[in-house]
This record gives sequence, structure tokens and C-alpha cells, in this order.
Amino acid sequence: MTRDEIEKKVVAIIHGQKTLPPDSISRSTLLAEAGIDSLDALSILFELEETFAISIPDDRAKEIKTLDDMVSAIEEQLATGTLDVKTQGRV
Amino acid sequence: MTSRVAITGIGIISCLGRGKEAAVTAVRRGQSGVRLIASFEASDLQCRIAGEVLATDFHEREFKQHDRFTRFALIAAAEAAGQAGVPDLAIPGHRIGTLIGTGLGGSETLDAAYKRIYGANQSRVPPLTIPNAMYNAASSAVATLFKARGPSMTTVSACSSSAHAIGQAAHWIRNGLADVMFAGGAEAPLTLGVIRAWESMRVLAIDNEKPERACRPFSADRRGLVLAEGAAVLVLESFESAKARSRKILGEVCGFGLTSDAGHITDPSPDGAARAMEMAIADAGLTPEAIGYINAHGTATKANDIAETEAIKRVFGERASAIPISSTKSMHGHAMGASGAIEMALSLEALNRGFIPPTINLDEPDPRCDLDYVPNEARAGTAEVFLSNSFGFGGMNAVIAVRTRSGI
Repeated sequence: MTRDEIEKKVVAIIHGQKTLPPDSISRSTLLAEAGIDSLDALSILFELEETFAISIPDDRAKEIKTLDDMVSAIEEQLATGTLDVKTQGRV
Repeated sequence: MTSRVAITGIGIISCLGRGKEAAVTAVRRGQSGVRLIASFEASDLQCRIAGEVLATDFHEREFKQHDRFTRFALIAAAEAAGQAGVPDLAIPGHRIGTLIGTGLGGSETLDAAYKRIYGANQSRVPPLTIPNAMYNAASSAVATLFKARGPSMTTVSACSSSAHAIGQAAHWIRNGLADVMFAGGAEAPLTLGVIRAWESMRVLAIDNEKPERACRPFSADRRGLVLAEGAAVLVLESFESAKARSRKILGEVCGFGLTSDAGHITDPSPDGAARAMEMAIADAGLTPEAIGYINAHGTATKANDIAETEAIKRVFGERASAIPISSTKSMHGHAMGASGAIEMALSLEALNRGFIPPTINLDEPDPRCDLDYVPNEARAGTAEVFLSNSFGFGGMNAVIAVRTRSGI
């Protein structure tokens, strides 16, 4: 999956979770400034993990501030291989 | 005519042991009760530690017909009742009430029932699933055990549940609705379903290698909260009743403050917390200068410890740094709806014995948490009046002001 393809999916998930004006999120927009609070971010991360069959560790998740950060975190996890549904929660 | 509200009995069961002696001894020594989960197979979890009540601290058949949270409430209530000498023929049953808070009620019962339905494809669940899982089961069971036929209710306000219970019960006595109240909280949230849900919130301190070091309130390297279970129940009683029965008065619930952040559902607000402290102090007819110790909510989440520190500074101004503050959660973890009662009871026991509870695992404080948190070791001293803070999800804040024996 290319970075652009990942980004498209991520943007769709963000807009699915939160009603935001179209184009309100550029790659470098701070998610918090776009109106995505900590709980919205948790729900978005959860859906990303399910969609991509990955697990983003807590420490890595805390570093995510922008759309670009999200896409990078997903790329990193995809590079280590996907998880099946049963073991997704394991460290 | 309003009554002053005495505390005449205290009961605690937690990961620090069964009974207040065990708990207060552990707190004096700065010992943690956080360990690897042993009551069920937790190896699939990311977080495999908790403040779990040891299996050796209660008999497997003790109050067995009830959910675990109700069993804890009954054990704590029995200890408190023994100390207070309740029931007593001098007090009619309809003048005794119960108000036991809980955050999640009978989680174990529900988890087991859902596992049968969704996990094992069974179509039937045990017949007592509803009465055991309901949030008022503990309050009801305590009323039944002690024939308390007066006001009985349950408070549910997440981590503030038991502080709300104690404050509300005190006001009922103050206003003449009851002479004696069993008040406190009980929680048993250590199930696969509940822990998984907490893991998803990414606020748990996952330190499976060193469980006793996991909970680090106010520390620069704190990682979050540690889930725990247990109960604390107090016998509250009007001064008139306690004196007529010649009972020893252990302390006084003298003030209650409760506010709502009306803001974010999980992010705490210094404003809501500060107003709750101010309200408790005013309800006690005091000024901030009277407060000699604060038992902090101190969850060890990034957000709470900074917001609470700011709130304390707002209420106490320059004097904030002169008040000893501690989070006993560093030792017993966060027992959710039972935490306020456990912490208030422990603080009163400690101060009555002449020491101030420590905050353990605090080697390097967060620069934004710059007050006196009594790091690592208990300190000799007492206070005539202290505050016990509880701030729950949903922005619900409850603060109890308590007079110790030396203050009465």
C-alpha cells in the first residue's frame, strides 16, 4: 500500500468519526487545532488499528499530532507485519 | 436543628490487605499492594498488573451468593459495624441507612454472563445475573445484613462515587433523615472486559515487570493509573447518637463539596476541582487556613496530576506549598468507585495515629507538580482537618472535609 493510499483511508476514517468541514485537515494541520480532541483521537486510532490490522503502541500514539504523523505510524506498523484479530491487543 | 456527623466505625478491604490495620500498616511503611493479576488468566492482556485483593484475604465461600464488589462491601461494612457496635438495640432499624457508591457495579457477574452468551454460545445465564450485577446490590446487601431499614441508595459517579456517598450520607444525618449511615464504596472491576476497555483508553500504567513501581503520581515519569479493587465502608452517626451510646468518635465528616466541570468527559478541569474544595471548606464553616492535609485524587495520569496541582494552588494560594499532600493510590492503585472512601478512611486512620501518608514512587517530580507530596516515606505529624479529593470521569467532583480526633 502506498503512502497516498494510506492517507486517503486515514482521511476517510477521520471524517467518518468526526464531522469536520471538507479539506479542514492538511498533512501538517495539528489535529487538536482541527477540533479533534483526545477522545476523538482515541476512537480514530482504534478504527485505524482495526482497518489496517495493526497495533500502535501507547508511546508511539502519544507522539501523533498531525495527519502525516498518523500515516507514518501506520506505515511503520505495516512494515513489521499485520496482526490477526485475535492477537491484535498483544504487545 | 442540624447534627454534627461522627465517624464511629471504619472498615477497609483492598490490595493492602483485609482490615484497616493491614492497610494503614502498609501505608505507614510505604508498601505497594500492586501485583501481577492472579485471580484469572491475564496473560493475553497488555496490562497484567492491578491492585487486586489477595485470594487469601477472604474465604471463597464468604458471601458467595453475591458479586465480588458486594462481597467486598459486606466485608468492609462488617468491620466498621463491629467497631461502631451496630446494630444496637438503642437505634431503631428505620433510623439506620446505607449509601454505598460504585462505578461499575457487578462487572464480574456481567462479564461471566456475556462470556456464556457471546463466547460459549450458550443461551442461558445464571438466574441471579440481574440482582447481582445491579449497581445498588452492595447498598442493598449491607442494609439487609444489618437490618438497616432507613434511607438506602447508591451513588454512581465514576471515581467520585464513594466520596459522593459519604458526603451525601453525612448530609442526610445532618438534616435528620437518619441517625446512622453505612457509607462508602465498593468496586471489583478486574475482569477481562473491563481491563481491555481501559487498555483502549491508553491511560493505564503498563509496567508488568515492576508492578509495585507502576503507579507514580506527580512523578515526571508517571505512565498512568493502575486499576484496583476493594471497598471501604464507614459508620457515620449523629454526635447525639454516638454520645448517647458512649461510642468512641474517630473523626467527623464536617464538609462536603460537589461540582461539575460541565466540560470534557475525561479531561479534568482545575476550575471544577477547585470549586469542589472551596465548597467543602465552606460547608464545614471553615476557611482554607484550617486545612492541614490533602489526600489528593492523584491518579498518576498526565492530565489529572497537573490539573489537581493547579486547583490546589487556586484554592490555597501561596500556602499551597506548605500543605502536605499525598496520593495513597501510589500504594493501593485506583479502586474507581471505592477509591474516595478507601483514601478518606486511610487518611483518617493515619492522621489519628500521628503520621502523614506518603506518595511512593516519587523520585523526580514533574516540574508542573511542584507542591509537597510527602515523597516516598510517611512523615510524623497530623492535621486537625483534612480534605479528601475525588474527581470522576464525566467531570463529577466530590471533596470531603474531615476533622480528625485531634480536631474535635
